[in-house]
Amino acid sequence: MNLTMNSRTPNETTCILEIEGEIDVYTSPQLKQDIVKLAEAGTKHLIINLSKVEYLDSTGLGVLIGGLKRFREKEGNLVLVGPGMRILRIFEITGLDKIFDIYATEEDAAAKEGVTL
Amino acid sequence: MSESQSDTVQLIIPCRPEYVGVARLAVLGIASRMPFSYDEVEDVRLAVGEACTHAVERAGSSPSTIQITSTIGARALLIEVADNVPAGTEPSVPSEEAQNLAEAGVDQQGLGALLMEILVDEVKIDSSAAGTIVRLTKYAPD
Repeated sequence: MNLTMNSRTPNETTCILEIEGEIDVYTSPQLKQDIVKLAEAGTKHLIINLSKVEYLDSTGLGVLIGGLKRFREKEGNLVLVGPGMRILRIFEITGLDKIFDIYATEEDAAAKEGVTL
Repeated sequence: MSESQSDTVQLIIPCRPEYVGVARLAVLGIASRMPFSYDEVEDVRLAVGEACTHAVERAGSSPSTIQITSTIGARALLIEVADNVPAGTEPSVPSEEAQNLAEAGVDQQGLGALLMEILVDEVKIDSSAAGTIVRLTKYAPD
């Protein structure tokens, strides 16, 4: 029951955050802290890679929505990449797939968001 | 397991965030005793996780416990998630996440409840001064 996060900054205003593990009521405060830190450090485009996320609950969704709001307020964006079938289904049944931009790969996300990796 | 027989498994955990994963792991094993598909087992796991999360968020820092009683029947799996957090003691100011969700047109508690409703066949929630019991039922495929 762990959460591992790795971030890369391909350019000054873009960050790719790769998350591995379970995002739940225990680990989501850690994710929130990282998202807030990145936003405050001047990141405008946050690409969150969910391909290694095995579990996501309503608190995780809450943190992602909080992050989305934060980035869009700065005319940036928080986009999601590569969720597995189970994770994607959670977005679909809650209707949040219509609020987030969800892409298959980091390259797709970068191209659509107009950032270079 | 004969037609009429049912087995019961009980688990009591502290009502704290770090133990919700323990409940989910146990439920994974319990739901695997049913003739559910992989997806159905995962649905039960997430629904129980949401029920426990609901208890943990209401408990705040008060010492409470969650008792999870799973009844493995021939036709259905019934999981009762009972906490001893009195109703009406939840924090009156919604968390920042809840406020963000509200602004995005989503109600956070509603999100957990919505997930439970979709993931299992029946959800019953009873709240009283003694605590809240969430009863989740998932029927075995015909």
